[in-house]
Amino acid sequence: MIRRHMIETLVVFSFIVSAALPCSVGAEPQGKLILFHAGSLSMPFEAMEKAFEAAIPKVDVLREPSGSQKAARKVSELNKPCDIMASADYQVIDRLLIPDFADWNVRFATNQIVLSYTDKSKFSKDITADNWYEVLQRKGVSWGHSDPNLDPCGYRSLMVLQLAETYYKQPGLYNKLIAKRPKENIRPKEVDLISLLQTGNMDYAWEYLSVAVQHGLKYIALPDEINLGNYQHDDLYAQAVVRVTGKEPGTFMDIKGNSCTYGVTLIKCAPNREAAIAFLTYMLKPDGGLKVLKDMGQPPFVPCRVPTEEMKARLPVELKGLVEVKK
Amino acid sequence: MEKREPFFWLTISCGVIVMAFILLPLMDMVTAPSLSMLKETLKDRDVVRSIWLSMYTSGSAALISFVFGTPLAYLLARTHFKGKRWVESIIDLPIVIPHPVVGIAILSVAGRNHWIGQMLGDLGIRIMGSVTGIITVLTFVGLPFYINTVKAGFEGIPPRLEKVSRSLGASMSSTFFRITFPLAWRSMVIGLIMCMARAISEFGAVVIVAYHPMIAPVMIYERFEAYGLKYSQPVAVWLVLVCLCLFLALRILTLRRAREI
Repeated sequence: MIRRHMIETLVVFSFIVSAALPCSVGAEPQGKLILFHAGSLSMPFEAMEKAFEAAIPKVDVLREPSGSQKAARKVSELNKPCDIMASADYQVIDRLLIPDFADWNVRFATNQIVLSYTDKSKFSKDITADNWYEVLQRKGVSWGHSDPNLDPCGYRSLMVLQLAETYYKQPGLYNKLIAKRPKENIRPKEVDLISLLQTGNMDYAWEYLSVAVQHGLKYIALPDEINLGNYQHDDLYAQAVVRVTGKEPGTFMDIKGNSCTYGVTLIKCAPNREAAIAFLTYMLKPDGGLKVLKDMGQPPFVPCRVPTEEMKARLPVELKGLVEVKK
Repeated sequence: MEKREPFFWLTISCGVIVMAFILLPLMDMVTAPSLSMLKETLKDRDVVRSIWLSMYTSGSAALISFVFGTPLAYLLARTHFKGKRWVESIIDLPIVIPHPVVGIAILSVAGRNHWIGQMLGDLGIRIMGSVTGIITVLTFVGLPFYINTVKAGFEGIPPRLEKVSRSLGASMSSTFFRITFPLAWRSMVIGLIMCMARAISEFGAVVIVAYHPMIAPVMIYERFEAYGLKYSQPVAVWLVLVCLCLFLALRILTLRRAREI
């Protein structure tokens, strides 16, 4: 009789404990974790996937890289199951996912635009941070960028060209450069340009710094005033405005320049919320995912940031300690 | 009434399942856009241009396959030589290689880092981002379908007929054009249809070689990413309708002539 009592007490006790500590022993995350992310995050996320799966082997991380807009549309329009979505422009999450598909948006890393090339590119020996805009106009030089209508890296590349016009005091530079770039040199995503560089079909391509570092490309780093990498220059960046296609064919909208800031969010109807939170906890830790990003040329925010107290309140408990409120 | 065997019902039910499997998702897609939306899309010059470009490039790929593939198919159907299996396997390679790999492979040959690319560059021929590039890719992926279909067609013609012709003094070429070709032309039309159909649907390899100018599948992708499903579906519907009409017409034509023979 006493023994039965003991067992009952134990059962009740363990029930209370496991309810109070949802991520403790009893509820180890497991199963598939679906992650949609920007193409430029492919390599750091691959490294994070390996580290995370080594720590929690029961979780199988399934990553789907694509343009950030497409990743958002896969959730909002195709209703594809997804747990976590990481975008190369945190504004994509604000625009397409909040409030229907996500509650919050954590900014976790930065990047900058560089002009990448290989040692076989034409004039690769002459090009510097001071004469690149002149080299791009030389005869026979072929350069390109990704599609501004589909990929944040695309409109950001154009913004760099606009900012360069003022910075280098070269009136009309933007139009001159665009006139030198045939439409055929545009590709859907920035990573699509790499194979063109490496096969000698293109000499120079506008890329994220991280992508250039990860693929071992040579690159010209540009001054902070035009590289969209330093958010302290956001006022300056806002002077660049690129017109991209709007919500339906024939309509357009203007996008103002801002620093390259990556955002991540948990999808509301995530099929595996538990594993998603475990992954985010690892990813947003300074010695976890943020370190991986740093090693791969993508300077992280330590700690990560949300814009308002109100948004911080909507974060899962486990993540609240890992972010600060900062505009 | 004659009693049907269970096997008969098995064939019927499998047939229904296959039809439903193909038609259900397609019906859903075709009926999703409204009529006004379809009309609106057809007024969009870019859409019409991309569908036309798709037809034009895949048609060209089919014609190139016809010119270069027919003699090879004949050779494979009529002769046995060492390494024939190898040649046949190589012809099938484009079917199994992942599409983006095809695109990258073609680009690496066409780039300045390769002697072929340098030669093409000197001649002023550009593969990247050009109609030439699109046709090159589509021929690459479509060729096996043409050759395999036509080879089977040639194999169906008794060699006896050719031997009679040769023994009566006709040359190899005149035997081919006067005996074999008239008997095999139907398989060639089917080969052209197969090749063109395969080429029209290609996306993965083309988008790597040429994003602009846009063929219809690339435009469907671009529309989906930029504007969402609502604006990509009508383009897809038009492409499916145009292809359906074209292939139906070709099939009807070839079948009618076959009955006359």
